[in-house]
Amino acid sequence: MTRVDRLRTRLATAGRRLRRIARIARWELGQSTSSYNRRTLAVIAVLVVVVASVGTSAVALGVASPSPNTDIYRVGVADNSPYTAVIDDHASLTARPPDRTALATGEIDLLIGGVRQPTAGPGPRSPTLLVEPADGEKGDAALTAFRSAVQSYNDRAMALEPNRTAAYPVVVELQYIPQSTLGPAAPTNAGNLTGDDTPGDDADSDDGTDTDANDTDTNGTAGNVDGGPASGSGDNTTATDNTDSDAPPVADGGGGSLLDRALFGGGTSGSPAEIQPPFPFGSLLLAFLFLVPMNFVIQSYGSSVLNERISRRGELLLVAPVERLDIVAGKTLPYAAIAVATTAIIAAAIGGSLLSVAAVVPIAMTFLAATFLGAMFARSFKELTFVTITITVFLTSYVFIPSIFTNVTPIALISPLTLVVMELQGEAVTLGSYLFSTGPFYTSTAVLFLLGTGVYREEDMFSQKPVPLKFLDALDARLSGIRSVGVLTALFLPFVFIAELLAIAVLFVLPIEVSIPLILVVIAAVEEVAKSVHVFAGFESDRFDRSVRTALLLGIASGIGFFVAEKFTVVAQLVGLPNLQLGEAALQPAGIGITPSTSLLLLAGPLVLHTVTTGVAALGARKNLWWYLVSLVAATVIHAAYNFGVVTLYG
Amino acid sequence: MGDRDWLRAQWHAVADRVSDPRLTIAGRELRVLGREKTIILAVVIQLFVAAFSGFLVVGLVSLYDPGSVDGYQIDAAVTGDATDEMLAAIEERPAIEGTRYATTSEAYADFQDNAVNAVFQTTRSDGRIEVVMTAPEGSIETTLVVSEGQEALRALERNLRTERAASLSNPPLALPPDTGGNPYYDFTYTILLPLLVFLPVFISGSITVDSLTAESEQGTLELLRVAPVTMVDIVDGKSAAMIAIAPLQAVAWLGLLSLNGVAIANVGWLAALVTAVTAIVVALSVAVSLLAPDRRSAQLLFSVAVLLFFAGATLLPGGPANTAARLAIDSATLSTRLAVLVYGIVGVAAVGAVRRLATRINPNRL
Repeated sequence: MTRVDRLRTRLATAGRRLRRIARIARWELGQSTSSYNRRTLAVIAVLVVVVASVGTSAVALGVASPSPNTDIYRVGVADNSPYTAVIDDHASLTARPPDRTALATGEIDLLIGGVRQPTAGPGPRSPTLLVEPADGEKGDAALTAFRSAVQSYNDRAMALEPNRTAAYPVVVELQYIPQSTLGPAAPTNAGNLTGDDTPGDDADSDDGTDTDANDTDTNGTAGNVDGGPASGSGDNTTATDNTDSDAPPVADGGGGSLLDRALFGGGTSGSPAEIQPPFPFGSLLLAFLFLVPMNFVIQSYGSSVLNERISRRGELLLVAPVERLDIVAGKTLPYAAIAVATTAIIAAAIGGSLLSVAAVVPIAMTFLAATFLGAMFARSFKELTFVTITITVFLTSYVFIPSIFTNVTPIALISPLTLVVMELQGEAVTLGSYLFSTGPFYTSTAVLFLLGTGVYREEDMFSQKPVPLKFLDALDARLSGIRSVGVLTALFLPFVFIAELLAIAVLFVLPIEVSIPLILVVIAAVEEVAKSVHVFAGFESDRFDRSVRTALLLGIASGIGFFVAEKFTVVAQLVGLPNLQLGEAALQPAGIGITPSTSLLLLAGPLVLHTVTTGVAALGARKNLWWYLVSLVAATVIHAAYNFGVVTLYG
Repeated sequence: MGDRDWLRAQWHAVADRVSDPRLTIAGRELRVLGREKTIILAVVIQLFVAAFSGFLVVGLVSLYDPGSVDGYQIDAAVTGDATDEMLAAIEERPAIEGTRYATTSEAYADFQDNAVNAVFQTTRSDGRIEVVMTAPEGSIETTLVVSEGQEALRALERNLRTERAASLSNPPLALPPDTGGNPYYDFTYTILLPLLVFLPVFISGSITVDSLTAESEQGTLELLRVAPVTMVDIVDGKSAAMIAIAPLQAVAWLGLLSLNGVAIANVGWLAALVTAVTAIVVALSVAVSLLAPDRRSAQLLFSVAVLLFFAGATLLPGGPANTAARLAIDSATLSTRLAVLVYGIVGVAAVGAVRRLATRINPNRL
């Protein structure tokens, strides 16, 4: 009986809270819609119409040059040369009179000469065009651009040839097979490939209307011819037909729209021009679409939060009988709803499924959470603008750039956008990789909101302090006793994870001898800061007494918190990041890559390390900022030395 | 003591004579930016963009251009009945080394053992050569292997087309040799440089909106009634400060790029272009903040308008991004310089129009 009663009361309370949140959300929504009045929206509509009409008329008149690299390379070519057409067709090239002195003075970047026929001996068996590039990188780059222009010009010319066999003498089928590291995995497909490798069938079944997805700008012309009496072997397959036995489980259906095929080429069969290195250009472009509306949402959200503080209207809310968390939830709800709705609309428009939405929503939430915290810290709208731009730039780069390497390296999975790209390409996404890429985003959202709600109180909302001090205040607001220090350290782990993965992503292009020591130092520094910055905040606000004993206790608490939380990074193993040499270097010192057979000492090693280094940092933090920085450097050095030792011992 | 007071009085007198309310406002605007450390934040953002773009360029080049990876060699196994032709084509590509394999299964066994990076399995069938190309899956080298293998296959295709030129109505044009020039050379000039150079422009406009709307929302513009400055003075001062800082940042970026070995030509012209575009954008932001009902609408209108301005201008010949790229890469023509001139004229006209607008606005009604 009593239990039922208690449950009922609890439900009633929850219901009341939800109603309250909904009321605040409605109020917030009403406020924003009234501020964007009809006139503003009308002006925006007029602007869009004007620019769109100017743009389309420019395109229609043929004066448009949307490509930013228009006419950047100047090629010296005679007027009657057949290569003039090549240059005219290619945006980045422009024709100039052929003049050798112009080449020397840098007036032109490339001079086109005659054609050398193939000789009997070694060397190329097809004619070569003789060219003279200008000295320096630009001349070489111009030559490379010109070469690819000639290639695509030839591709287009060949598409018009009536004799298909002579025009397309080579048919390629591209397949990807993992090179096993654990002994040969029986290359079963080696035999049957020749058997069922009938590109002709593929070509006929989907009468692809565009032959070239990557580098022709007039693929319309190619399409017209394909309907002709093509003798039917692979002259027009750009659709991704992953028919190989090792293909990913989910195949991208060949029956996609024309746009799909144009954008998602990734061709695996056809003439040599049609196969493509795994560069998911189209998917990337579409994935980027998800990020554009978020900037507008956070702009609006940030100013709403800051307005509350500057106009001191938030004071009224604070004295109302509503919990702080409810106020924040109510204020955020409309914007979160808008973000989710736009994400869903975009996903529906570009053909993404629920997975795309599920991958993008955590990004949107992180955008909102970071903006909330930024708006709680900012002193003026000007400062807020910078904070918003910082958030936009940082998050956009963090999620967008790794996804470029989707098909290349598992590091790409640090960004949830990679999941979208994978989905659009028709690849399967495992639960492990979903957790790996979105987990840090979910948890950082929670932590950022937690920190922001902590300072959603009168003394912080309506006071003017520099951002770093506000940050320390926000940290301090979450501290109560020694145990809370450990908890806060554990909460920082997603940020540590994000920072470390970002460092891996940035450094992995360097040679491995440079990148591994560098990454060890960076990781040590990131972890040491995360473990001690709130300890410093606690000392600065006189929450803790500045004795050596307290400092050591705090260091131990923080170290233990970090050690426990770090064990959760085991999820990284699920996606195979440790297979990467750099990932190994990053994760092994945490005791993750180590097999169970290793001694207890090694498992205890990280624990001892984290408590000792944080103790060192805390000893400095109890004095002042300068001592804190000095001790931080010392802790980083110890930590990096330990990491280096582990990696050289077991690497 | 008396001397010092006298000196100070003299100094004030001189300062009063030279000073102009507009300069005072501009100076104050800049000091506030410095105090709030917002400029530092802006530079940090730009640095971040530059660092990540650098990563992007280096990453792309090393992934897609084998020439940049020193001494990287792809070993390919070639099998089947068109092995001779394939090997001849592979010979033209210095980055690939082809080896003849008698049987397909041997080739795949070596592929599995990492002894070769790629397998070309060739078959002749009714006048064509069919090639099954195998590349490692999910490895950093995949892209490299595929793009280099594609080049070899294109060489094979070229050779066969040359042999059959008689059956083609338009034989393909001869290709120039592949000297391994950087295919991403223009990325720095056409994407990164415009991004770095025009980001300060956007930031300047955004600050102007904030600064003007903050005045009107906090009611400080009402003080104009008693202060010896007009609305035009305020607009002038704020715009001047914001127009001044954008080219400074842009030039600093150009300097940094040159230090990194990116040759930048026409720095003076680039600075003029940035100044002109900033003048247009700042004028736009002033107009928006004077006309929009409140700050949020103003910011939204400004973001949309700037986005549309850049999108629209990019579609026209001589768009700002292309103009900046052509100036910097030293491919500028007379028309490029004329484009800069046009931007300058539009900028001056826009500032003039906004000043006229400011005289008509009643500051008390904002």
